[in-house]
Amino acid sequence: MSRAIEAKGLTYTYEDGTKALSDISFSANAGEITGILGANGAGKSTLFLNLNGVLTPQGGEVRLNGEAVSYRRQDLPRLRRQVGVVFQDPDDQLFSADVYRDISFGAVNLGLEEAEVRRRVEEAMARTGVSELRHKPTHALSYGQKKRVAIAGVLVMEPSVMILDEPTAGLDPHGVSDILRLLRQLRDELRIAIILATHDMDIVPLYCDKVYLLSEGRMAEAGSPEELFAHPELLRENHLRLPRIAHLMEILSDRDGLSIDRGAATIGAARREILRLLREEH
Amino acid sequence: MGTDRYAYLSRLRDVDPAPKIVLSFAILLGAVVLPSAAAGLFTLLSAFLLNVFSGGQKPRVVGHFLKIPLVFLLIGALTIVLRPLPQEAQAIWSGMLLGRWRWGITAEQLRLGLTVFCRAMGAVSAMYFLSLNTPMTDLATALRRLHVPKLFVELMELIYRFIFLLSDAARQIHIAQDSRLGYEGFRRSMHSMGALVSMVFLRALRRGDRVFAALESRGYTGSLDTLPKPYAPGRWLYALCPVLLAGQAVIFYWERRWLS
Repeated sequence: MSRAIEAKGLTYTYEDGTKALSDISFSANAGEITGILGANGAGKSTLFLNLNGVLTPQGGEVRLNGEAVSYRRQDLPRLRRQVGVVFQDPDDQLFSADVYRDISFGAVNLGLEEAEVRRRVEEAMARTGVSELRHKPTHALSYGQKKRVAIAGVLVMEPSVMILDEPTAGLDPHGVSDILRLLRQLRDELRIAIILATHDMDIVPLYCDKVYLLSEGRMAEAGSPEELFAHPELLRENHLRLPRIAHLMEILSDRDGLSIDRGAATIGAARREILRLLREEH
Repeated sequence: MGTDRYAYLSRLRDVDPAPKIVLSFAILLGAVVLPSAAAGLFTLLSAFLLNVFSGGQKPRVVGHFLKIPLVFLLIGALTIVLRPLPQEAQAIWSGMLLGRWRWGITAEQLRLGLTVFCRAMGAVSAMYFLSLNTPMTDLATALRRLHVPKLFVELMELIYRFIFLLSDAARQIHIAQDSRLGYEGFRRSMHSMGALVSMVFLRALRRGDRVFAALESRGYTGSLDTLPKPYAPGRWLYALCPVLLAGQAVIFYWERRWLS
């Protein structure tokens, strides 16, 4: 498992003196989905803008595929090509009323030849399932469709790290599972590192390979989703909660005294636990 | 919104916008330059047929859009046709206004009014050929290729994209205010409308910041260069230009001879 991006001691303070990030260290591997959990205002967006070079960290170091990142002006295009950001509101990202042209923007900025731009646009549209939307104006798309187009607009740069800020916000349940399935598919087919910020706890055990808990600009906890759910107090201190299923397991174990695995956070895991318990009874 | 919705349904939607611009401006110029009602009607008819048969628009839709300027043009033409007349002038019809002023229609004025009306309708329908078959974004691409200053075209595109979002935001604020009785009475309406306008400005400002960050992270370096999808060349539209212009000219001479 190769490290796609790694931050060490990252620090960022806004001009007005608010310390947004202090001493952040984390890493994301290629071919994995890394979740960054945190309440509103925990510093997720600031972190992402630092990783992408829209903001310049004041301290610490970021390594991309093992190489230290330079934030000098002339090196920024290289960084932005490698680290793509999908913003929370697709309406902030889609600046063109034409779907095809919006997706082509990043590839054109790389200075590629026309044929190569077209090849990449077609591929990104096929991967995200928006090929049929090319004949529609942006304002006629649904929210979920806009989200896919925004993802295609980042894929076209062929990044090695893709960061998504709250990818499931504002989507209906069907849209949520569609987008997450797409991310899983991109992870497995392109072997890129996907980093997603979320406070939708129920998707974490299903889709994240690794999680970090960001709290007031610091990394409070890191590990697998199961490891994180072993400390529900830490989540609650940070305005988060356990996934519903894990919460149920916690109650069954603490209040009802059942000997049940409290780390079971998905429907599948809970089902296995319940069936095991039932079999032990008989 | 308006014609754009139909432009996306047009059969000529994937045709290069440049020949569409050239053709509509060519026949527009023909209709405006030739002082002839018949040439205007000829332009109206050919643009209508182009819209229906090449563009695949429903005749009802094209008719609907042609009706929009009809009222203005009718009123405009009426003021040319019906005018105050000197007492001794020959008139087709005349009457006394308030018993003091003589108003009426002369053959000369009738012909002038009719010509102006037909030329204007021809010009409008030529523009409809462009706007019912060319989505706004394609128009911007073409303008860029025709060397209209980049800044101007980029602004046009951004305005077109974000006008939908801002008008949406304004509508939502309006509903929120209205549902709390913000528009009961004149004073309160004024107050609410003021708050709405300042809120929309604030939101636009904040969105601008976010859009800029998003553009930067996709490698924005000062110009919004994109690649449009490949167009069908549409050379037959260029070929149609001299044909229709010749038609206008022939009809103009024919009308001249018939009238004299």
